[in-house]
Amino acid sequence: MAVVIENVTKCYGRLRAVDGISLNVKRGELFAFLGPNGAGKTTTIKMMTGLLTPDSGTITVCGHPMATDSQLAKARIAFVPDQPFLYGKLTAREFMHFVGEMYGIDRNILPARIEHYMAQLAVTGYADQLAEGYSHGMKQRVVLAAALLHEPEVLVVDEPMVGLDPRTARTVKDIFREWANAGRTVFMSTHTLEVAEAIADRIAIINHGRIVACGTLDELKAKAAREHRLEDIFLELTDPKDPPELEEAVIPM
Amino acid sequence: MSAMETPALMPASSANEPTFWLLMRLKLTILRNRVRQLTDQTPLQLLMVLGFLATIWLGLYLIFDQVFRFIRRFEKEAIIALPYVFHLFFFSMTILLGFSTAVLVYGSLFAREEPAFLLTTPNKPRNIVAVMYVEALFFSSWSLVLLGIPLMVAIGSVQGLPWHFYATFIGAFLGFVPIPGAIGLVIALLIALFLPRMAKRSLMYASAVVLMLIVAFWGRLWVISSSESITRRWVHDLLGELSYLKSVMLPSTWVSKAIQFSIQDNPAEAAFYLGMTVLTGLCMSHWAISFVAWKLKPAFGRAHSAPTHSRKYTGWASRLLTFVAFFYLSKRMRAVILKDVRHFLRDPVQWSQLAILFGLLSLYLFYLPRSKPDGFSMQWQALICFMNFVAITLILSTFTSRFVFPMVSLEGKQIWLAGLWPLTRSQVMWAKFLYALTVTAAAAVPVTYLSIRAVELPLIMGIAQMSATIGCCIGLCGLAIGLGARWPNFKEPTASRISSGLGGTINLIASVALVAVNGTLFAVTCLYSMNERQLLKLEWHSAAALSAAIVASVGSAAFCMAIGIRRFRRQEF
Repeated sequence: MAVVIENVTKCYGRLRAVDGISLNVKRGELFAFLGPNGAGKTTTIKMMTGLLTPDSGTITVCGHPMATDSQLAKARIAFVPDQPFLYGKLTAREFMHFVGEMYGIDRNILPARIEHYMAQLAVTGYADQLAEGYSHGMKQRVVLAAALLHEPEVLVVDEPMVGLDPRTARTVKDIFREWANAGRTVFMSTHTLEVAEAIADRIAIINHGRIVACGTLDELKAKAAREHRLEDIFLELTDPKDPPELEEAVIPM
Repeated sequence: MSAMETPALMPASSANEPTFWLLMRLKLTILRNRVRQLTDQTPLQLLMVLGFLATIWLGLYLIFDQVFRFIRRFEKEAIIALPYVFHLFFFSMTILLGFSTAVLVYGSLFAREEPAFLLTTPNKPRNIVAVMYVEALFFSSWSLVLLGIPLMVAIGSVQGLPWHFYATFIGAFLGFVPIPGAIGLVIALLIALFLPRMAKRSLMYASAVVLMLIVAFWGRLWVISSSESITRRWVHDLLGELSYLKSVMLPSTWVSKAIQFSIQDNPAEAAFYLGMTVLTGLCMSHWAISFVAWKLKPAFGRAHSAPTHSRKYTGWASRLLTFVAFFYLSKRMRAVILKDVRHFLRDPVQWSQLAILFGLLSLYLFYLPRSKPDGFSMQWQALICFMNFVAITLILSTFTSRFVFPMVSLEGKQIWLAGLWPLTRSQVMWAKFLYALTVTAAAAVPVTYLSIRAVELPLIMGIAQMSATIGCCIGLCGLAIGLGARWPNFKEPTASRISSGLGGTINLIASVALVAVNGTLFAVTCLYSMNERQLLKLEWHSAAALSAAIVASVGSAAFCMAIGIRRFRRQEF
């Protein structure tokens, strides 16, 4: 297993943002993680990447528990957040060099690898300009290229398609699919149901901090036992009959 | 090479672990790029900053030089006073450095996106904390560099001290900075752990407490120093108030002693205290970094996930305030002002800084000479009247440079909204000008009135001072709004950074120049009034100078508003 999440809970005050979820994500799998706003997607991802500590339960990445062996776990993972972070006063090339050195990539192969991923994600044209002038889409491409640089076993992406033009979005989808085909794992959180429907091997839907469905598209269709579009299944499973008490707490997502 | 090759993970051995030096190299690259960008794109701004820095250094050096030459004339007093200068200086620096390091470290470890990025990488928390700590020390120690170097060079030149004094004070500075820095680092961690959603308010409360302590401390000294003539008891009481600054447990005492012994050409004692300072700094840094690194992840989690109680805003108070203060404006212009008022009132960082500024004005009022039974002499009245005018307008120029100048830029990326409002762009500008003028005048007029009452100024001179102050308010607000629109920075969301940019620097210079012109003309007003009519009548020289001051202020405002409006009209969204 690439990622094992066992009975993980995370509370913000009195609100259970993630409520005892368990997930197993296999190697070579493209896993889509869906849910409405405030369902607990980003909190789960932050715990997977070691940014937050679960209140209870364990998360293991490639056999390394995030709680006790976080450095080795993090060495095998790459995270692309929904709000891409770049140092404004660094160029894309300088940033990628930094990331490459941080992950210990051999200096002899690092420049060629940087060129390869920059070309693949069409970053080369602005690679030597300061990042402070980039648009959201440009930043997203650089961050994705940097995340791929050390060829992680698990790639975790939060809303990967936001701000990307159709051509780049297509490239990114192709990369994710090929990445999974090559035996690596992609864990993708998204609101773009068409993307999940088109490329995901398995889909999990989280609502009010709990996994309400998990399986292949066909399995989800069988569970919903009605329309054949993911959108309909999603809407049915996440029906806000019992909205969380947001007045109690504002959850920073 | 391709992504599709067999997974080839980096060996996560300790040999390949990302190091402190890699992160330091990153910070240095960022610094290099920042300087390169300044030299390439805004060399004028860089030159102005360097020029200002050199002027401040030179000015401070000349002041300290004169002070030490003056003190030297009184040998016994110099022996007593000099150590207190050092103790007070380094004690103040301990508080200032600890406070600024805590603010900087909190921003870099718990409030920015950078730590979120670094914490997802296989970097040891210790490396991240150490780099952020060094970066914070670098930036927070500017106050020490700015004030301390001219102070020490002045002592060195007045006393004719040898080279090893200079080596000692540089070593002492380097050894001293990490001591308050380490305390600041731990404070930042404690805030993230225990007050994660109150960081800004904690800063505000801490600022208020520090300000109150300073006021209380100086108030006590003021009471002692103004209660009696200079007697043995007076000296004893005054030094008694300051004696705790010389406590042997204070690091500021060790660094002061290292420098004092170096001045006295006692290298053994100087080396002892210098070593003590350096070793304490290193040990405290080591412990603080280890402790913060140990608690970094839970603290980061707390800072980013602790619940906040969402407060409901009805907005009736701000609406009422705006309606009362700007009843004469159209509804639409009032709506623009109401938006700015609410933005300001709901940002504690903004209004706490304003409170500090008004605190300074209050402090000034506190120290104003009180009326005496036998009354002030005419010369004193004229001099104090002039000094009051200059002090108040200088503080106002700081206020307008810091708070009024960024008002147009703070529309930020939503500036296109201003283009869609059913108002002409000049109306938007005038609304902002009137808002700024109302707040500025609301602070300046009562302070001026109290200062007039305090020195029992005759009516005509009181009116003259009040007119000049209001004129200056108009001038400073016009400059700040006009130049703010002429050199806007819509990309920057932080008001303090907007005001420290090129436009802000130009505005500050223009504002200080306007205050200087007004001050000069008002000095002429006071001088001629004093010569002729016992301050009871404005003769024509005085009236002309006063009129010129008001014309200069209003003219500057009109000119800057015109160029600001012109630029704002052409602004594309």
